[in-house]
Amino acid sequence: MVDALKEARRILRPRGLLIDARPDSRVFAYAERQTSTGAYRRAGAIATSREEHTNDRRSDDSVATAVRNGWFRSLRASRFWHRVLFEDRPAMQGYLDDHVRFVHRVRWTIDPTKRRRWENDPWAIRRAVRYELFERI
Amino acid sequence: MVTSTSAVGRLLPAISSLLRPPPADELREYGGIGLVRRKRVIDVGCGDGRMALGCAPYASEVFGVDPDPSAIRLARAKARERGVTNTQFKVGVAQELPFADEHFDVVILSWTL
Repeated sequence: MVDALKEARRILRPRGLLIDARPDSRVFAYAERQTSTGAYRRAGAIATSREEHTNDRRSDDSVATAVRNGWFRSLRASRFWHRVLFEDRPAMQGYLDDHVRFVHRVRWTIDPTKRRRWENDPWAIRRAVRYELFERI
Repeated sequence: MVTSTSAVGRLLPAISSLLRPPPADELREYGGIGLVRRKRVIDVGCGDGRMALGCAPYASEVFGVDPDPSAIRLARAKARERGVTNTQFKVGVAQELPFADEHFDVVILSWTL
């Protein structure tokens, strides 16, 4: 990954902009149910898998190395959220079963009766994306 | 922020761009289209061209690079469908980009590192 950042620096003009955006594993993603009014209500938390945590830390280390080497200067860092939508809860669970980033089990904050009752409602996974803007030195 | 796609998690799990934010939303979060307006932009790890094609209406020139040939084929097809003429896609890896030194104003690594 450091090699990729070194290459990014090579092709960037001086003071050019590097944008690094990645899923933010420092916070939970959330399982949300869409209510009849269209609003989303949080119903559980979804952790990032251990392997992906490790990969994310490696990416962080690479970026830190690039900054320490004087290749880039951080301009701004923040986070935003977006929702991946599913037509029902089994569809969301199917996605989690296939997805390597997340653990497969939701930590539910609603009881099983409600989960069953809302099984066929639209659901979403609300996840965080972290990003940082860098200036090429 | 909410993606505008619906039920794509079930229908198209392999098309990663449909599981990610729309490029306009993502650009707005980073600071808006001014970041790429009239700039030479490269999207490294471009996949099926989501961000590269999102930047194309504003940038002077856009390149997308990805190691997956099928993703690049899809990106090229999308560019043709949309009539985008200032964007090119190449198969390649982030560690060895086929461009001259200091060629770009903006490098995007979106879901790449």
